[in-house]
Amino acid sequence: MERIGVVLGRREATPLEFWVGVEGEGLLRLDDLVVVKGFHPRLGEVLYFGMVDHVAKLHEGEAYDTDTFLAVEGQIPVSLAYVAHVSVTRILPEEFFPPDPGSPVYLAQGEDLERALYYDAMKNQRGSTKLPAGFLKNGEVAYLNLEFLNGVKGGHVNISGISGVAAKTSYATFLLKSLLESGVLEDAHQARVLLFNVKGEDLFFLDKPNARLQEKDRAEYARLGLPATPFQSVAFMAPPKKEGYVPDLDTRLEGVRAYHWDLVQFCQRGLLPFLFADRTAMTNLGFLLAHVTEKLKELAQGQKGPSLLVEDWPEEDLPEEVRFDQLGKVRLKTFAQLVRYVEYKLLGPETGEGEGDRRWTARQARPTLEAFVRRLRSSVENLSHLVRGDRPGNPPDPLKGEQVHVVDLAKLSPQGQMFVVGSLLKDLFERKERGQYRGRVFIVLDELNKYAPREEESPIKDILLDIAERGRSLGVILIGAQQTASEVERRVVGNAAIRVVGRLDAAEAERPEYRYLPTSFRQRALILPQGAVILHQPEIPVPLLLRFPFPAWATKREEVLEDNSAEALRREFF
Amino acid sequence: MWRLLALRPGALAREEAFQGLAAPEAFRPLESPWEARRADPRPWPEPLYFVDGKEREEALLAQGERVALLGSVAAGALVHQGGRMTLLSPVVRRVGVGLSEPLQVGELLYEPVEAEGTDYPSLRAGLQKVREDLEKRVAQGLSGGLLVVDGPVRFPRPGGALLGYIKTHWVRYLPEEEEALLHALRPGERTPAFQVSREEQALASWYVRLPLAPEGLRPPQAGLLRVETPLKGPYLELADLSLSLFPALASHPVKDPRAPQNLTPIGALERELARRMGSQEVVDRLLRRHLGGG
Repeated sequence: MERIGVVLGRREATPLEFWVGVEGEGLLRLDDLVVVKGFHPRLGEVLYFGMVDHVAKLHEGEAYDTDTFLAVEGQIPVSLAYVAHVSVTRILPEEFFPPDPGSPVYLAQGEDLERALYYDAMKNQRGSTKLPAGFLKNGEVAYLNLEFLNGVKGGHVNISGISGVAAKTSYATFLLKSLLESGVLEDAHQARVLLFNVKGEDLFFLDKPNARLQEKDRAEYARLGLPATPFQSVAFMAPPKKEGYVPDLDTRLEGVRAYHWDLVQFCQRGLLPFLFADRTAMTNLGFLLAHVTEKLKELAQGQKGPSLLVEDWPEEDLPEEVRFDQLGKVRLKTFAQLVRYVEYKLLGPETGEGEGDRRWTARQARPTLEAFVRRLRSSVENLSHLVRGDRPGNPPDPLKGEQVHVVDLAKLSPQGQMFVVGSLLKDLFERKERGQYRGRVFIVLDELNKYAPREEESPIKDILLDIAERGRSLGVILIGAQQTASEVERRVVGNAAIRVVGRLDAAEAERPEYRYLPTSFRQRALILPQGAVILHQPEIPVPLLLRFPFPAWATKREEVLEDNSAEALRREFF
Repeated sequence: MWRLLALRPGALAREEAFQGLAAPEAFRPLESPWEARRADPRPWPEPLYFVDGKEREEALLAQGERVALLGSVAAGALVHQGGRMTLLSPVVRRVGVGLSEPLQVGELLYEPVEAEGTDYPSLRAGLQKVREDLEKRVAQGLSGGLLVVDGPVRFPRPGGALLGYIKTHWVRYLPEEEEALLHALRPGERTPAFQVSREEQALASWYVRLPLAPEGLRPPQAGLLRVETPLKGPYLELADLSLSLFPALASHPVKDPRAPQNLTPIGALERELARRMGSQEVVDRLLRRHLGGG
């Protein structure tokens, strides 16, 4: 054991925090873990484990700041004090009496470090639940308790941080890598991941090795017990371009599928509400929305799609491009046509002040119906390439096929993004509720402030709340991220057992959402470098400052390691 | 049984020890003509030591007619070497002047020291003597280089050069005519050396004018330091060196009420010694608890 100093007596020493004087050539830094041996004749030896959260050096006994100049000039001797504040993480045995000033302080290493961070308690009947989560400052592997992530004791991860400093997405993907490949999650092969790509196309190279990965990075992966490889089984899905049916992506073309819903899926699955992001002050409209959604479900019952057949649209009212087919039904082939049809059912024929179909209007006043139609119409521009009747629907299905599904939202309008996220989460959650898939599902969603805002109501927020509150028992785990946790619904953040903070904006760091961080960590959140995060987990009373390795997968086109082997070239040409 | 008579009996006044008759009549200049002298800057010798001591009267005790003075004395040294000033470990003693056997007061142990008389001034003189001895002991442990002591030169230093300096001037050494030079002396200048004799010791002495910070009212003697060294040594060389040494170490009035004569390192050393003597409040409490009442 390396002795580093003694517990100070000039400042209060308590069972929960005390000050340490560093002696001689000793080095004690923020985040270092220490152990103090306390003794009381009636209790015997008590070990205090703690983490350094403040260090300071000062000239003792100097009465004036300018005395330092004199000291530098060699005119007065100085007494340099090197002190550190320690927050206690654990006391063994649990006897909460203060350590004696003067008690020796040692650096916690090896077994002591494990006890300081409760690693010895991270296990269940079947074995260890230590999930590699990065590196501590001293280079040792940091772990989090898987049981607080996979839903057993707790679930969900929430990541905060300003964008551009490589924290949120990078850390989320690193965590996924650890979950899927460390072997700690027992049924990892059954686990499914749904990753939403909200900005740029960073996540579209998850399956490609990173050309900038260096030998030392590989060594770090090895120490974490993870292969330094890209993700093995990834499906990439992007919305189609508005014209044609090519995925709307700039940097990657091969291996990406375009996704959309067909009209019958849209109706059958009841996706209409996800077009209405704001449900504030629209109780009547909300009621009408639920009603129309039901009517559409009824209408699409038994139909195969992709186009939707309707039989009660009189000929004189049909838009030009729509024709009766041979069975006397009208075949709706575009989202715009569906909207026109709903408009007809609610407001009646375009000509004249007709009345809508009473079975559809649900006794709502005409202004309500009109408001509804107006909103519906405005969504045509945003949604017509995502909901279409010209070819069978191909919405992402994260429970089938590849293990990881990357779904691109970056180029969609806000309404389109809402629609895709809402539809996919609803579908996923309902299927899990019905027990249609046994494995765990991890959902990675950035910009939670948009989908579950603190102030407003929306159908997506309802689903996210559902996931946050009931998901962990169903095996649906949300890895949510946002720039500012203060703008996200409290219950969504509050239900996350694991909280991660990357670099924060100064004003944001002062908000009550981050009060679980001690002051020193809030200050450091302002200056966190790239590749470092602060992680808080329920078992450990102090947060950990972690560094995580450089991604083994490419995060942009330039990083993709070109495979020039003969085999790869042969595949490409033949 | 000893009973507590008074706590902190004396304010700590440190005066130039009585020096016998050194009067203007005995004035013997060592340099001529009698005029202000300057010298080129020269490097400080290495190692350069500073020694100082401190005494603290802690309590006056009575046992019947007998009286004893409890006090702490400390002495320490600083060494300037390689551009850094370092504290050498100080020595602290707790003594009871007038006690005949050790006195344990709680965790404090006062060693007995014999006193010349039984009145308070003799006890004080006894404590002062302990301090001087302690200073001497510390000084004897330092070899080579130059030693600067706070106060007059009281002992020879065979191993190296020695400078003493006196801050307050109770004794006049110069005849009136020569004394006029003291008022004309400018910062960084010194008087010529003259001879001083004390307790069989022949010393060379001179006055140095320290620079004064521009603020504040000053008595005419402010900034005047009398320096002395054994006459046997290279006193002229040391006199010139003293012009590079003392003005550079003069303290600032904002930080030290005894500025500029109380040299900066000595001020720091005194603070440190006071700290090593322990908190006076704690000592007071212990004395009260063990010796008060009863």
